[in-house]
Amino acid sequence: MTATTTVKLAGIRKRYRGTTALDAVDLSLQPGITGLLGPNGAGKTTLLRIVATVLAPTEGHVRLLGRMPSTNEALAEVRRRLGYLPQEMGFPRGFTGFAFVDYMAVLKEWTSRAPRHDEVRRVLELVDLGDVAAKRIRALSGGQRRRIALAQALLGDPDLLLLDEPTTGVDPEQRVSLRQVLSRAGERSTVLLSTHQTEDVAALCDRVVVLDQGRVRFDGTVLGLVATAAGRVWLADAPHPAARASWRTGTGRHRNVGDAAPPAADLAEPTLEDAYLLLLGDRALATAVAS
Amino acid sequence: MSTTWHAADDLLARYVRGDADALQGASLEQHLVQCADCRARIATYIDAPPLDLVWTRIQEQVQAPVPTLVERVLIRLGVSEPDALLVAVAPSLRASWLFGLAITLGFVGLSAAYGGSRGLALFLLVAPLIPVAGVAFAYGPDVDPAYEVGVAVPYSAARLLLLRTSAVLATSLPLVLAAALLVPALSWTVVSWLLPALAFTAVMLAASTWTRPTVTGVGLGIVWVCAVGSAAIDDNPAAVLDPPLLLIYVAIGVAATAVLHLRIRRLTPLRSLS
Repeated sequence: MTATTTVKLAGIRKRYRGTTALDAVDLSLQPGITGLLGPNGAGKTTLLRIVATVLAPTEGHVRLLGRMPSTNEALAEVRRRLGYLPQEMGFPRGFTGFAFVDYMAVLKEWTSRAPRHDEVRRVLELVDLGDVAAKRIRALSGGQRRRIALAQALLGDPDLLLLDEPTTGVDPEQRVSLRQVLSRAGERSTVLLSTHQTEDVAALCDRVVVLDQGRVRFDGTVLGLVATAAGRVWLADAPHPAARASWRTGTGRHRNVGDAAPPAADLAEPTLEDAYLLLLGDRALATAVAS
Repeated sequence: MSTTWHAADDLLARYVRGDADALQGASLEQHLVQCADCRARIATYIDAPPLDLVWTRIQEQVQAPVPTLVERVLIRLGVSEPDALLVAVAPSLRASWLFGLAITLGFVGLSAAYGGSRGLALFLLVAPLIPVAGVAFAYGPDVDPAYEVGVAVPYSAARLLLLRTSAVLATSLPLVLAAALLVPALSWTVVSWLLPALAFTAVMLAASTWTRPTVTGVGLGIVWVCAVGSAAIDDNPAAVLDPPLLLIYVAIGVAATAVLHLRIRRLTPLRSLS
C-alpha cells in the first residue's frame, strides 16, 4: 500500500491434515499496533506463527520487512529484526529469569557479554522484573513468567513485534504498565497483538483485524469497528428475546445487543465488545439457520 | 592555598581506572584534598556517573547466572562464552545427565567385566546408543520447552545442532571408552563399538532435517535392541561387531554424512511445528 508496509500477506492458506486453519488471508501492516481479535480456533495463532517465520503457509505469499523469507539469508535478516512471544512457552529447567533472557539474547546474536547483559537488564526493567531477575522462573507467578517471555521478545527493540496473548495471567496493574511498554514500541515498530481481550485492543490499537474460521471478517480502525454497532445497543428494563446478547448491568437496567429495539429502551453508546459480538453473532445466526 | 605541583594527566587516568598503585593512590588522594584544580581535572576522566557504574556492577553480581560446570569446562577448553552458554542449556549436557551417565556406564562396564556374555551384551547394547540419546536430548521441540521461540531467531539452527552434537560426543565418548576398557579379552571391542556409535550419530543428524531427533532416536534404539538381542540369543553378542557389519556401519555413517551435507540448510527455513 504505502512505502512503509512492513508485513504483506497475500492469499495465505494453511491446512493441517484436513482442517483449514487459514483461508485466503490478505493482510498488510504498517508501523503501529494492530490488534488481532477472534474466538478460539479462529486461526490467530497460526497467523502469528506464519508472520513469525515459525510456520510455512500451505499456499500464498509472505513478505516481511521488505523481504521474501525464502532463503536462509533473507530469513536470518528478517529474524534479526523480529521479536516473538508465542502463545505457550516453557523455560529450561532450573533457569532464572535473567539466565533465560540471556540465553535468548545469545540466540539473537548478542555475543559480547557486557552489552548483552546490559540489554537483558533493560528489557527486564521494561517489564518490571528487575527485582526478581535472579529468582528461578519456577518460583515466579504465572503473570511474572508471562512478562519474562515478553521481555525476550523486546530484546534489541525489534522492528516487528508479534505477541500472542501477551496479557494472559497478568494482573490489572501490570497490564496497564505493559500497555505503556507496548504503546511506546508501537510508535516506531509494527506490533501485531493477538488477544481475546477487547479492552486491550480498545486501549492500545489503532487498527483491528477480526479473524473467524480462518478468514478476515473485519479489517479497519477500532473506531470503525465500534461504529458498526451504532444504533444496535440498547439499555432497557428487561432482556429482549431478539437480542444477540443481553445482560443485567450494575445500574439494574439490561444491556441488549442486537438490531431490534426493545420496548422503552434507550440507545446506548456501543463498545468494541458490542461490535465484536454483533460481528461474530451474524455468523453464529447464519450457521444456525443453515443447519 | 597554593600547591607547588599538579598531578600528571597520566596519573589521574590511571587512578580513575584503578590502576595506580597504593602509594601513588594515597599520595594523589592527599593532594586532591588540597587542590581544586586537580579535583576539577580528575572529574573529566570519569565517563559515567560513578554511582550508576557501581550499581550496574552490583546488579551484574546479583543477577548474572553463575556459569554451570559444563560451561566452565567448555570455556577452559577454548569454546567461546556464548557458544558454551548455548551448549550447556541442553538437558543432555547438564551436569546431572553426565553424572547419571557415569554411574550407568560404571555399572555396564562392571557387568561386562564379570557378567560373561550377558554382561557383554549389555555393554554392546548401551555403548552405541549413548551418543544417540545424548543427541536426542540436546535439540528439538521435545526437549526444549522454548523451542518455538528459538526458531524465530537469527542464530543458525544447523550450527546449534552441530555444536551440541560435538559437545555430546566430546562428553559421552570418553566415558563409554572408559567403560569399554573393563571388557575382558576383547581387543577390538574396546574401540569397534565406536563405528556404530558414530554411524548412528550421523543418522540422527541427517534425519533431523526431516523429523525431530527423539523420533529417530527411538527408531535407532529399536533396531539396535533387536540386533543385539538376536545376537545374544545365539550366545554370541559380539557378532554385532563382526568385520562385515563394521563395514556396513562405515557405509551408513558415510551415507548419512553425505545426506546431512546436502540437506543441512533445510534445518533453518520455515518448518511445521505440528
